[in-house]
Amino acid sequence: MPWELLDHQADVGLQATGNSIEDALADGVRGMLSLMVDPATVQPQEHWVIEARGSDVGSLFVDLLNSVLATKDIENAFFHDVVIESLDQQDGTWHVSCRLSGEAIDLAKHEVDSDVKAATYGGLRAEQSDDGWLLRCVLDL
Amino acid sequence: MTTAKINLVRRDQYIFEIPKSGEMNVPARIYTDQAGIDDLLESAGEWSALQQLVNVACLPGIQRAALAMADIHPGYGFPIGGVGAFDPTDGVISVAGVGFDINCGVRTLRTMLTREDIAGKEDRLADKLMEHVPAGLGSTGELRLDEKEINNVLEKGASYAVGLGYGTTDDLGFIESSGKLEGADPSAVSKKAKQRQMKQVGTLGSGNHYVEVQYVDEIFDQDAAEAYGLQPGQITIMLHTGSRALGHQIGTDYLQTLEAASKKYRIPIRERELVCAPINSPEGKAYYSAVMAGANCAFANRQVLTHLIREAFEDALGTPEEDIETLYEIAHNTVKFEQHEIDGAMKDVLVHRKGATRAFGPGRPEIPPRYQHVGQPVLVGGTMGTSSYILRGTDFGMDETFGSALHGAGRAMSRRAAKKQYPAKSVTHRLRELGVTVRAHGKHAISEEAPGAYKDIEAVINAMHGSGIVQKVARLKPIVCLKG
Repeated sequence: MPWELLDHQADVGLQATGNSIEDALADGVRGMLSLMVDPATVQPQEHWVIEARGSDVGSLFVDLLNSVLATKDIENAFFHDVVIESLDQQDGTWHVSCRLSGEAIDLAKHEVDSDVKAATYGGLRAEQSDDGWLLRCVLDL
Repeated sequence: MTTAKINLVRRDQYIFEIPKSGEMNVPARIYTDQAGIDDLLESAGEWSALQQLVNVACLPGIQRAALAMADIHPGYGFPIGGVGAFDPTDGVISVAGVGFDINCGVRTLRTMLTREDIAGKEDRLADKLMEHVPAGLGSTGELRLDEKEINNVLEKGASYAVGLGYGTTDDLGFIESSGKLEGADPSAVSKKAKQRQMKQVGTLGSGNHYVEVQYVDEIFDQDAAEAYGLQPGQITIMLHTGSRALGHQIGTDYLQTLEAASKKYRIPIRERELVCAPINSPEGKAYYSAVMAGANCAFANRQVLTHLIREAFEDALGTPEEDIETLYEIAHNTVKFEQHEIDGAMKDVLVHRKGATRAFGPGRPEIPPRYQHVGQPVLVGGTMGTSSYILRGTDFGMDETFGSALHGAGRAMSRRAAKKQYPAKSVTHRLRELGVTVRAHGKHAISEEAPGAYKDIEAVINAMHGSGIVQKVARLKPIVCLKG
């Protein structure tokens, strides 16, 4: 099942799922991107490689979402999609590298919705079951 | 989370208490009415504001009580509307107690205009505000700052914006802390945070950030209204925004730093977002210095936007810039060292206010001299279809809540539910019937911010007024609203 937005009185909960950690991370990024701008209005004209780390899968998820937000501001770009390129765990630290595709912000063309201020540890969950991985956190809007 | 085990005691008509028990170091207190408490208990699902308040009461070094105002609703870590004051020697500093939008706040401008001056020109004014004020996701400001200039913003706050020609020094005297907090250290702020901000100084943002043109509908306290320069029918302007991407990145960076610190100093954490560090630890001091820098960025942002609002009024109505003065500016996502009386003695405490404003009573030296005799103006943003309020701080509030009060109506409904229930077209139509002209950038901003998605501002204000924490001064009604 793809990402889902969960009711939260002030902000919004984001729930991502996938067969693997990589799939669930990508699902979560797609969910957050969809909240901000209609990805169908963004063309994959350029790409950016970004990295994130965490002491566990939950904090890795939050750091990845926040890295996407930082890249949006620094590169002044909106994103169409994400591909996870590598995931590893060394000395107790998880590390992920991924490639974002998208293009420079053009407000005449991109249909914007809510900005996301940050991904938080609020309601953070990272659980593995027979169905795969489930990741959750609260996004501050 | 669940509220099943929470024991609530009514201490007064508008004061409820969760007595100290278990791991709580102090009781928790909520300043609201019975209906507000009933709503909190009924709506407590996975994210419970009362449970979040109890978690705050368990933090080391917390003084007197964990406090929540009538606009309390679930946040992350701290509830929104939450206040926690900590002993500087054995207390902690928390990212969740400040939030990611560091020093987000409200500025109210008073004008020489009356309702008649604007009648029939609402659309023109709304369009000019839209044109002059960069707002919404993806917008950038007219300023392009390099890292050195960003460092100046972080050290000097609103005064740096004045130096660049945005507003005047007269504005500075009517901003909380004069628009500049001491102790800001730009080196405690990451390069990434600064890079994110280079094009964002002088932007409104999105979500619940707005510029609203209002009129004074009713005066409740003549002396205070006179001191604040308010009279019935007068046009005021309310600006709500914060530290933009720089503040968000500081929160993100220090969430990891403070998580490691929580483990290092073995601080018991009941919710992961509540990670914190001892105030006196290197990690705690670094976060504090970074928050002061982020706060100064928010002060500068609101100062630039004030100038842009003046330009929009001049463009739309020919209003001279000097006819629009800063009444006051207060912040509601802050952490600050303040002196308060505890057990009969004045003591330094570190006060976190998450979705709560400072509301100092009469005589406090932090208040502008013009307002000292009546107390600090407390600016409360309502919704674009109801009312906003100007209140004043009281001596009772100093004794009860470390001089803190509510910051808004408080959300009653999730953004998702509001989007379903309130189609933008019908909200805009209804607002037009109420005499409110609205503009928005975000596709769902009007639905998500629909008046029905918020608590009843009148009930929330009456509870705070009734508690004695603050007193009503004036009610403001919206005419034109620009949303991000």
